[in-house]
Amino acid sequence: MNCEHCQQLISVFMDNELDETSSAEVREHLAVCEPCSKVCEDLAMIIDFCQLDVEETVLPPNPQALWCRINNVIESEVQAEILKEHKEKVEAATVETANTGWLPRRWNLSFMQVASSVLFIALVSSVLTIIGIRNYSGASNDMAGVNEPPTLFEKVLGKVGLVETPHQKRERILKERRTAIEYWNKRVQTRRVQWNANLRDAFDRNLNEINQAVNEYTQILQENPQDELSGEMLDSALNDKMELLREFSEL
Amino acid sequence: MNEKLDKLLKSSATIKTTILLSVVFFFASFAAQDIFAQKRFSKTYTASKNVRLQLTNRTGTVTVEGWDKEEIQISAYLEAPAANIVPVSLSGTILINVVKDNQGRNEVGNVNFLVRVPRGSSVDIETRMGNLNVSNVQGTLVRAHISSEGDITLTNIGASNVSAENVIGDIFFDGDVQPNGNYRFISTRGNINLRIPFNAGFKLVATAPSTRNISLGAFSGGNMKFVGDGRRVIGQSGDGSATLTVTNQRGSISFIRR
Repeated sequence: MNCEHCQQLISVFMDNELDETSSAEVREHLAVCEPCSKVCEDLAMIIDFCQLDVEETVLPPNPQALWCRINNVIESEVQAEILKEHKEKVEAATVETANTGWLPRRWNLSFMQVASSVLFIALVSSVLTIIGIRNYSGASNDMAGVNEPPTLFEKVLGKVGLVETPHQKRERILKERRTAIEYWNKRVQTRRVQWNANLRDAFDRNLNEINQAVNEYTQILQENPQDELSGEMLDSALNDKMELLREFSEL
Repeated sequence: MNEKLDKLLKSSATIKTTILLSVVFFFASFAAQDIFAQKRFSKTYTASKNVRLQLTNRTGTVTVEGWDKEEIQISAYLEAPAANIVPVSLSGTILINVVKDNQGRNEVGNVNFLVRVPRGSSVDIETRMGNLNVSNVQGTLVRAHISSEGDITLTNIGASNVSAENVIGDIFFDGDVQPNGNYRFISTRGNINLRIPFNAGFKLVATAPSTRNISLGAFSGGNMKFVGDGRRVIGQSGDGSATLTVTNQRGSISFIRR
């Protein structure tokens, strides 16, 4: 028998539940093996201790009553703690209300702070409203409003970049027009080979006429960028050019 | 004998030549007829008094006349190669779109329309090239648009919304200015002549930036003023309820008392 097998059987051996053969083998091994005999002694000691009258030596005479007393002590202490905490909270809330009215303690602001906050909110709301209205009305692709002189407020907003200045708006619209013209011009170039000579001549004649107007206004605007009427006419001429190209691209 | 034979031969050659030439002329005349032939298209619709005509032509003249019958009569003269015309009557609107009906075709001849409509009709006509004439129409809308060149003539018009637009060509309007109406005349190069009643009430913005040739005639006065170095006239006549916008990029504008 080896040690491992012996130690597996020790517990059963101690309980006298092993058969004679196995018991004899265990005994023989314990006789020659010191570690296993040590394990056997330890186990025997534990069993002996457990077999002592533990209840009489460790437990109090009336454990039920003792537990009740302990429980009462704990409950009374916990209850007192909760009451104390609640009382403190009520007192703190009363003091806050007395000091700041309807505002909680963390919103405890001075009159100046409240006034400046209201002013700031009003200012931001106004600016956002103006920007919204400007952007909404400015989304149209005509030059309406471009020719109106900007107010001081609009100039300031324009400098900051919050709203488009009339000049910026004009540039944007003209850029959009030129992009559209480029697109329709490509379509016309693919179609015009199929037109007859009369149609081609008429188209070129009319396009040339519009181009002359465009060049005229572009030149005036280069010399005098503030000439609002020329800006408006340039937009109108570019629009005419786009329409001419678009309508002839259908042919 | 020889002389007789010669004469006979000569006369037979002459006859042959004559017959040959006749045949050639005969076929040539047919071919010429084919080339210069005009087909005719005609169709009549029963219509209510306030029907709308929407006509888009490719090239050619369009004439629309108001009449007292409650029907629309469409006549078209088609030059070769003849265009396809497919009018559509759709819930009170007569639609004719020669551009769409002939898309993809390389060669399409002029189509000259004569359309008669009830006087109360709305007329919306456009063409890529050619003249537009509208007369005796009193409906809500008269719109005449030429993509490129051609004259626009609007006579005896009583519509409250009038728009005429071309690139090269004259625009002539002779009609009423209805209260709260909207009138728009735009050209790039041509003469714009407007003949309107003296007591008409309108706000005016007339712009002729290149020529600065704006003649107000009987309408000039205290309520009209030249701005932008004489390139534009703004002002009011009468109660100013209607809006009159006239722009001629490189031509003149004239007002004539009706």
